[in-house]
Amino acid sequence: MTDDSQRRWYVRVLRDVQFWVPVVVLLGGLLVLRWIH
Amino acid sequence: MDSLTAREPELAARLAPQATLPLDALRLRSLQAIGILCGLAAGVWLGAAEAPTKLVTLGLSPVVVSLAMVVGVFLARWSLPALLQGTSHVGADLRQAPHLIVWAVLAGCLWAVANTLTIFAVRDVGLSIAFPLWNSNSLLGILWGIVLFSELRGADWRRWFGVLGGALLMFAGATALAIASSAQAAPRDAVRGVIAALTAGVLWGTMYIPYRKAYLTGMSPLSFITFFTVGELVMMSAIAVTFSGGVTPLWRELAGAREVLFWLLLGGFVWVIGDLFQQYAVKYAGITRGIPLSNTNQLWGMLWGILVFGELRGGSEGLYLKVIGGSLVMALGACVIALSSVRGSEHVRWQQAAAREGERYRVDPAYTRASMAGREMHATTSRRTWLDWLLVGVATATLIGFAAVARAPAIAVRWEWAAALVLVMLIALASCGVALWRTTRFN
Repeated sequence: MTDDSQRRWYVRVLRDVQFWVPVVVLLGGLLVLRWIH
Repeated sequence: MDSLTAREPELAARLAPQATLPLDALRLRSLQAIGILCGLAAGVWLGAAEAPTKLVTLGLSPVVVSLAMVVGVFLARWSLPALLQGTSHVGADLRQAPHLIVWAVLAGCLWAVANTLTIFAVRDVGLSIAFPLWNSNSLLGILWGIVLFSELRGADWRRWFGVLGGALLMFAGATALAIASSAQAAPRDAVRGVIAALTAGVLWGTMYIPYRKAYLTGMSPLSFITFFTVGELVMMSAIAVTFSGGVTPLWRELAGAREVLFWLLLGGFVWVIGDLFQQYAVKYAGITRGIPLSNTNQLWGMLWGILVFGELRGGSEGLYLKVIGGSLVMALGACVIALSSVRGSEHVRWQQAAAREGERYRVDPAYTRASMAGREMHATTSRRTWLDWLLVGVATATLIGFAAVARAPAIAVRWEWAAALVLVMLIALASCGVALWRTTRFN
């Protein structure tokens, strides 16, 4: 792995559409938990 | 998400020719068999891990129960990989795919929220009812597997029919159990419990996105869970502190529950073993097959609930029929899915998905290819360092410390049934562990 790619892996994560699916579900789950509690 | 058919010629031109070489048929069959075996063993262990959540009936706060289980999970997830492969393997995986740390932490956060919701669900509708409802996560997992990771692409109609038909059977079983829940609990509690269980199912179903991403790329399950547990512990601690009204009230609750904390830590430890098998099932059989199989934990959970804790005692015949019938229909659906095994043409599409992941995150193709075949890129001998033994020692000492002050919980338990189920767990652990070691060396 090159130095450049090691530096930029987090940018690739943020640009990956698939990353945002679990993020949105997590936020929804926290809202339901707050309501139930 | 990518449209594979539209991008296929372009993709094939860009990938190294050897990136999608079909796996040797014999090797593919043996990896599939390992995946299926791991799924079944995961069911046995994950089913048992939910038993300590019954402690919520003693009046313990659900967040305290969940936090204590997560601490048990944390202990197991740092000590088991150290014991099985050594932390040097974790470091090597990390250097190959550092981006997977973020995915693992995110998956851990999803797990922590889902686990807390399941404890609310158990409190409101009982273990026998809540369990199959949150196991609807496999339906969502199948969807993500097809849409995001090219699972079932290239499969014949029988496999599509098997997986989708099995999913529908599981949905029908879950519906029967949801109807039964409304007859057993007060309406307000039933609605709240059902929503908690279904939301947990959505969270866990989505958690398989990070799982599959990690294993397509090539990370070892033992490495993935090490980072996963960091997200889990941080998220669970934040939830516990917030819901308990601060650190001091939470500490008071934990101190008040110290006599039963050992059982919760043990539940977390048992869960990790089940989850490890589940992760190997996802790695080698895919989400579409591995998750439904591991969801046979519903049957084991039902056995723990009915045989060990005497749940449903005194219920009407109709209630028994709904709960047992619904569970059996769900299990039948899981079996149909499991029998729709992966063939070479579908596995090539998995390899293409893996190559896409590797390209997206600039991962060495040799690392990804070796992992898909259940091998290591560079054969290494596992040497334990002082750090590995320190981790194992601290985890063991902590468990022994809590066991020393533990007392048997004041709930009715039929110990003879508990012993029989523990024996089944040990048989599953030994048989699957040996098969996994022989075939993949835990890679």
